[in-house]
Amino acid sequence: MSELPEFILDRVFDAPKELVWRAWTDPKYLQRWYGPGAETTIHQFDLEPGGLWLNEMRWGEKAMYHKVVFKEVDKPNKLVWHHFSSVDADWNDAPNPMMPHWPKALLTTVTFAESDGQTKMRLKQVPMDATAEEITCFAEAMAGMENGWGSGFAIMDTLLEELK
Amino acid sequence: MEQFSYIDASPNLDVIFSALADPTRRAILSRLADGDASVGELADPFDISQPAISRHLKVLERAGLVERGIDEQRRPAKLKAEQMALAVSWLEDFKKFWGSSFDQLDDLLTVMKQNKKEDSNHE
Repeated sequence: MSELPEFILDRVFDAPKELVWRAWTDPKYLQRWYGPGAETTIHQFDLEPGGLWLNEMRWGEKAMYHKVVFKEVDKPNKLVWHHFSSVDADWNDAPNPMMPHWPKALLTTVTFAESDGQTKMRLKQVPMDATAEEITCFAEAMAGMENGWGSGFAIMDTLLEELK
Repeated sequence: MEQFSYIDASPNLDVIFSALADPTRRAILSRLADGDASVGELADPFDISQPAISRHLKVLERAGLVERGIDEQRRPAKLKAEQMALAVSWLEDFKKFWGSSFDQLDDLLTVMKQNKKEDSNHE
């Protein structure tokens, strides 16, 4: 596989770039929105190349940890980091039991562009130093997200109807 | 895929993703959602041979998405919903992670804009 699979998410925020940047890079704000429905605690946050963002997300009894190493900080235009989504509570690499071939690290790039008081954001994640299995696993999950899975969801709908 | 010598009761999700990555296999699953079917019945709507269908079924079986009946003659294939639900919900969670977080960011930005306005009014 010559090209790495990418996860890309575009979003427009109805706020100027400077404000969006602050919400992303001030841990006080970041922990208020990062993690869906989670109680997020930021244990460390050094916004500089090589700096760490150690993040804990908690849903009741369930907790998830991730480690981020910032690579590029170009205020207020661009953030680049290495995202380690599978770490234990001591921030050491730990295998993901559900997805053993999920890439251990994702190169994450977030860019911000302002127009008419709004901010266009693009988030891109690509597997980093990944094995062939990790690349395949990520590619298949991404392909599933863009297409194909329509039928997966249709099957689920049928089954859920039957179970009612 | 061929490294599995037995059918794992709880296969890894990447095995499931791999099985689902093929359009013919997804079509087979769609057909099975309507009811159990034999290899012959499954091969009918496709332009492929019964042995090819059998191979696809084996992949689905190894991923725990399908099980085969014990009826010696027909060995009807049956969809197993739990594995499918597991894979679909995992993928949904990944997709929702950023999406839901950004919904929360939207709300926060509204508050921040409001606060900023109030701050500048005080100056």
